[in-house]
Amino acid sequence: MKTFIILTLLLTISLNAQNNTKQLSDNELREELIKLKNEVASLKSTQIENNEAIEELYDSEDRIEANSFKDKIEFSLGFKTYIDNFTKKYANGEVVKSNNIWSNKLMLNMKADISENMNFYGRLSMYKYWGSSNIHPYTYYDNMQGRAPSNSSLYVERAYINWFFNKNSSLPLALTIGRQPSSDGPSNQFKDNTTRKGTYSALLYDGAADGIVFTANLSKLITLPKSFLRVGYSKGYGYSETSSNVGNAFIGASNNDIKDTNVAGVFFDTTVPTIKNSLIQLSYSRMFDIVANPLDYNTSVNKNIGTLDLYGAMIECSNFKESDLDFFVQFGYSKAHPNAQNYGIYGGLLSANGDTSTKSGYSTWVGTRYGFGKKEHYKIGLEYNYGSKNWINLTQGSFDIYNKLSSRGNAYETYFMYVINRYSNLRLGYVYIDYNYSGSGWFVGESKKISSDMPYSGNNLKELQSIYLKMNINF
Amino acid sequence: MKFISLIFLFVSLAFAQESDIANLAKSLKLSAGTKAIVQWERVFKSKRKMKRYKIDTLSEYHRVNLKEYLINHAIDSDQPTIAGV
Repeated sequence: MKTFIILTLLLTISLNAQNNTKQLSDNELREELIKLKNEVASLKSTQIENNEAIEELYDSEDRIEANSFKDKIEFSLGFKTYIDNFTKKYANGEVVKSNNIWSNKLMLNMKADISENMNFYGRLSMYKYWGSSNIHPYTYYDNMQGRAPSNSSLYVERAYINWFFNKNSSLPLALTIGRQPSSDGPSNQFKDNTTRKGTYSALLYDGAADGIVFTANLSKLITLPKSFLRVGYSKGYGYSETSSNVGNAFIGASNNDIKDTNVAGVFFDTTVPTIKNSLIQLSYSRMFDIVANPLDYNTSVNKNIGTLDLYGAMIECSNFKESDLDFFVQFGYSKAHPNAQNYGIYGGLLSANGDTSTKSGYSTWVGTRYGFGKKEHYKIGLEYNYGSKNWINLTQGSFDIYNKLSSRGNAYETYFMYVINRYSNLRLGYVYIDYNYSGSGWFVGESKKISSDMPYSGNNLKELQSIYLKMNINF
Repeated sequence: MKFISLIFLFVSLAFAQESDIANLAKSLKLSAGTKAIVQWERVFKSKRKMKRYKIDTLSEYHRVNLKEYLINHAIDSDQPTIAGV
C-alpha cells in the first residue's frame, strides 16, 4: 500500500515536472517537492496509526474468539406457561370440572460443537403445576421424566452426541448416541410455532428414550433433498433390582423372570420434490418383551407380556406454495402380539387373561394451520385424530397432558395463536376428546367399549374437554 | 416412461428452488451461520453494508429471498433438532 502511494506520488511529480518544466523555476520545483515530501510523511504517519488500530482490532477479535471457545456449551431457553380448564365426563355420567390449573415448563437447551465431526445436544427440563411440588408417579417412568408435571426438579430430557462420518462424501453417515431427540416430533411444531424439534412422528413416538441411531444421508445418492435412512435401537425398559446390587450397579442384565424391553426401528425421511418445506416419513419399529409395569419389581406379578409392531406414514408441509398454509396427514398402525402372560388380574398385552390373538389398531391424525395479518402475527389451527379399539403407540411421554394422540376415539382441537415476536406466542385453544374404548395409551388389559354399564364405569372417561391458554417462548 | 420423466422434471425444479438462494449466498461469499439474526437485519438496513456485500446489485426478489434465507440460517436462529443432522 505504502509503495503504491509513493509510486503514485512520484509518477505525479514526474508528470507535473514534464508538463511544467518550462513554466516552473527551480525554486518553485523545490518547494513543490518539499510539499509533496511532507504529504508523504503525513500519509505514512496516518498509515502507521491505521496499522496500529487494525492490530488492536485483531487483538480484540482474538479476545472475542477466545471467549467464544471458552464458552463450550451454548444455552438457549424454552419456557411455557399453561392454564387449563378441564371438564371430564365419566362413563357413568358423572361430570368433574378441574379449572384454573396452571403449569410451567422450563427447558434449558444445550449445544456444543466438540469438533468438526461431533456435536452435543441436551435439554434439562422442569415441568410443574403452580403451587405444587408433589412428585407425580409418572415421573418415575423413564420416558416421562421432564415430560409430565411433577416437582421443581430438573430432569435430563435429552443428552446425545452426533458423530459424523464421511461428511463431505456422497454418503454422509452419523451415529447419534445417548438420550435421543425422540419427543416433540412432527407435526407438533405447528402448534408450538417452532421448527421441527424431534426426529420421529409424534403420532407414534413421543417421550424421552435412551438409544443409538445410525443415520445415512441419502440426499446426494437418490437426488431427493433431505432424504435420510435411520436405523435405531433403544432400551424401553432396563431391569433393575436393588436387592441384587453389585457395588453401586444394580441395573442391566435381565433376569429369568423379566427381560429388558428392547426397541428396534427403521425410519425413512424425504421430501416432496415439488413442495418446499415438506416432509415424508415412513417407519417401522418393533418393541420386544414389553414389561407390564416398569415400576413393579415384584417378578411374581410383573411379566413380559408380548411384542408390538408399529408402522407409520406421514406427510407434512409448511407454508405450502407460499400461501401461509401448513398442513399434515399422519397414519399409524399397531399390531400387538400378546404372549399369554398376564399382569395379575389386569390381563395381558391389550388382551384378557390367556388371550394370545393378535390385536391390531390404527390411528389417523390430520391438521392444518393458517397464518394471516401483518407478518403472519395471527394463526389459526385445527387438528383431528381418531384411534381405533386396539390402537396403541409410544406417546406415553407426550408433553400434552391428555396424551391426545393415544386416544381410542375421536379428538378435536382448535386454536388461535398470536405471535408476539419471533420467539414467543400466545395460544388460546379448545380440545375435545370423545373416547369410544377404554385404556387409551395403556398396554395392559383388553380395551372395552365405553358405556354406562361397563365395569368400573366411574373410572373410565367418556369425554374430556379443555379450554386452555398457553404462552410459549423459544429463545 | 412419461411418468418417470415427470418425476425427474419435478426433482430438478425442486432442486432449483431449494438450492438457488443457497448458491446465491455462496457466490456472494455470505455464510448465514457467521452472523446473528440482528446482524443480518442490520446488513439489509445499511446501504453501505449492502454495497460491501454486493447485495445492492440484486433484484428486489432475490434480495428478499436472500434476507429470509440468511435470517433463517443465522447462528442464533431456531434450528430443527433431529438425530444425525
